[in-house]
Amino acid sequence: MKKYMLKRILFSIFSLLVVVMTVMVLVYSLINRNVIFQADDTWNKRNLNDRTIYEYTQYQKFGYLNYTDYSSFLKQKYMESDGEAYTSNDDYKAAKKAINDPATFQQNPDVQEFANKYAADGYKIRYLQPVTFKSGKTKPGGNAYLIAVREKNVFFRLIDYIKDFFSVETKNQVKDERLTDRYIRFEKDPYSGLFAIVGSGTQHKYLLYFDNRFPFIHQNFIHMNLGTSYTRFRGQEITGVITSPQGELQTRSTQYPTMIGTDEYVETAIDFHSLTYNAAEGELSDLDKSQFTDRYTVYSYRKAGMSMIENSFVIGIIATIIAYLLGLPLGILMARKKEKLADKLGNAYIIFIMAVPSLAYIFMFAAIGTTLFHLPYKFANAEVKFLAYILPTISLALPSIGSLMKWMRRYMIDQMNSDYVKFARAEGLSEREIFGFHISRNAMIYLVHGIPGNILGCLTGAIITERVYGVPGVGNLLTTAINQHDNGIIVACTVFYTSLSIISVILGDLLLAKYDPRISLSEEGGGGR
Amino acid sequence: MADFEKNNAAVENEDDLFRFVGNDVISSEKIIAPRYSYWKSVFRVFFRKKINMFLIAVFVLIILIAFIMPFFWPYDMFENVSTAASYNLNPAKAMAFFKGSGIKYILGSGSMGNSIFYGVISSSKTSLLLAVICAAINMVIGIIIGAIWGYSKKFDAVMLVIYNIIANVPYILLITVLVYIIGSGFWPFVFALTVTGWLGIAYFFRTQVMIIRDREYSLASRCLGTPITRVISKNILPFLTSVIVTILATELPSYISMEVFLSYIGVGLSASIPSLGRMIQQGQSAFLQYPWEFWPPVAVASAITIILYLLGQNLADATDPRTHM
Repeated sequence: MKKYMLKRILFSIFSLLVVVMTVMVLVYSLINRNVIFQADDTWNKRNLNDRTIYEYTQYQKFGYLNYTDYSSFLKQKYMESDGEAYTSNDDYKAAKKAINDPATFQQNPDVQEFANKYAADGYKIRYLQPVTFKSGKTKPGGNAYLIAVREKNVFFRLIDYIKDFFSVETKNQVKDERLTDRYIRFEKDPYSGLFAIVGSGTQHKYLLYFDNRFPFIHQNFIHMNLGTSYTRFRGQEITGVITSPQGELQTRSTQYPTMIGTDEYVETAIDFHSLTYNAAEGELSDLDKSQFTDRYTVYSYRKAGMSMIENSFVIGIIATIIAYLLGLPLGILMARKKEKLADKLGNAYIIFIMAVPSLAYIFMFAAIGTTLFHLPYKFANAEVKFLAYILPTISLALPSIGSLMKWMRRYMIDQMNSDYVKFARAEGLSEREIFGFHISRNAMIYLVHGIPGNILGCLTGAIITERVYGVPGVGNLLTTAINQHDNGIIVACTVFYTSLSIISVILGDLLLAKYDPRISLSEEGGGGR
Repeated sequence: MADFEKNNAAVENEDDLFRFVGNDVISSEKIIAPRYSYWKSVFRVFFRKKINMFLIAVFVLIILIAFIMPFFWPYDMFENVSTAASYNLNPAKAMAFFKGSGIKYILGSGSMGNSIFYGVISSSKTSLLLAVICAAINMVIGIIIGAIWGYSKKFDAVMLVIYNIIANVPYILLITVLVYIIGSGFWPFVFALTVTGWLGIAYFFRTQVMIIRDREYSLASRCLGTPITRVISKNILPFLTSVIVTILATELPSYISMEVFLSYIGVGLSASIPSLGRMIQQGQSAFLQYPWEFWPPVAVASAITIILYLLGQNLADATDPRTHM
């Protein structure tokens, strides 16, 4: 069994990697990369060479390539030798001017150094000739440029991605010589009143702490980095985007680290558990010094709303629970009353749910809910937040109920003529007992496999439901990212969805083997579906 | 009374009752059973249900309207785009505004003064075509590959790896990328829906084939040296007719729903092609304010999908020989 699981897990990791690589090929190589400039005003405003340079900087930002400019190379080079006064160096001036002449620029030693240095690293050197009017004056945007460009190889991109995927906090995490006292230890947490694991030299100050937010115990030891968003949440880390609370700031009476021990309190929304190391050069600002006792001065705020993933999960999990609580008994009822009224009504419902486009019935229920029951339609406009969850949850539960009813009925009917049912009848058991305990237990074998998938699937959110009701959840992360060409989010979503689906299948198999002891996972051949 | 006497008279002469019949070798080889034709029985069972006749009549009517009427009532989304007064008119107002244009504005006008009625008709043509073409391509490829996949163990090992990988690439992403690469016309869209769409069908079919593959009669056939292609086409596929029709019943409507869904999230057919998805997408933003722009395409899409689903399910029931009694 252990060997089998190990094999499964290794194979899962392999297929996850291949999926991520396939998606990387799809989004980075197959899509024409010009599409990112479709609605870009800056691109429209720039001309000629300036536009090309802008394109390269954008490509670099979107992760397509590495790009270096000759002028930044010069700046770095002469900064090293001359410091801040490098602009007055004559060599620098000459080197900078050299590229304006297409005929002679290659003779400049700095140009040669630049070209040789980057060509050795596999960069391609591109020279953009100055574009001039007949009078010799440069056209707007026609300045000469010398750049080095290196396309990112899919394979290396994948390796880079994996390298950054997990990060574990150690006390040598922060590379800063000013920090002398490095430790990780238990301390009394002044904010929760309980203990916390506090680090110095780590990125986060609080590595393990308690507070009054779900799930009440939080850790910062291991950080999973799904990637960085390019356009949608400019430069933010996607893990943070989907897990950090949203909505209005939540203030409360608390103390800055310098106030601890005194009876001074302030009204602020700063979350002191979120403190991270401030690696900025130079001294801390006076304000920071008055509030903080160390260099852990970067913080985020406490917000009243739930995070994206929490929103999606709450709606999804309630809908799933409702679906199982209603769908299974209704399926049993339909099988018991086969070809009677209850079965016919149930079938009509199933056909409606299966055949009609989901968009259509979600809007239908939105119309019914808002006009007849006066439930809030758009999430953001809801006065009572609790009410805003009702319609999305119902919309999400309805199709699941239909599909559970369908399969439960099907498997129940398949089992109804088995010998054990006849035997149970001969024993004199009531129909209720036969259906409720004997047949349904066997019919459930087929449905058990899907339970982990349904629960974990709640984490990925629902595309249509969340869009229709304006729920700030994760469901539309992928679709909006595609529309905005946010390759970072696309890859992150793929990793997230694929891992969840792989984990679901493995958990489903384990649950199935647990539920039905006749099923053995590790043996070749026998059983299985 | 007279008959009785006649019989009595006949009984008296026993030689007239019995006659010696020689041993007929040829006719003794024949087995007398009612003639059974599979497809005839299928249709007999199918048409036994009156609802099926009704559904077919409605469906034929929809097809005729969708495919013939656009020639007489061409739909142009932008014909009234210059008259802002014609935007978003409810049916009564639109009929009054466009006096003399017959029933063209019977369902009101859309966000650019377009006729909802003509739009729905032209759009259902696109949706029906899309559903039929995609279903045909996916079903043919899916069933052929699924049959081989389920039959050959070597092929199975390779295909499972491919399946695990492709099935995990988000479907929306795949379609969007394809739409970006090859454009969003009708045929590129068909390509995007079918390039991996057959995989799910093939996987489902593989499992069904595997169940039949190891039945005794198939084993016997293999022992006698029947070639694989013949085993698949004669032993396995006929057994799975009802499965195939069941897949068809869920596949056909699913492409209409898929088009609606993709248009809604913004990766549908291009704007120049009238489609139900696009109409629903345009109507949804103000569906409480201008309900006549939203509900007609939704109603038509739902009607088509329900009819296709019901017809398919009923045909699948009829193709199961156990119902032919």
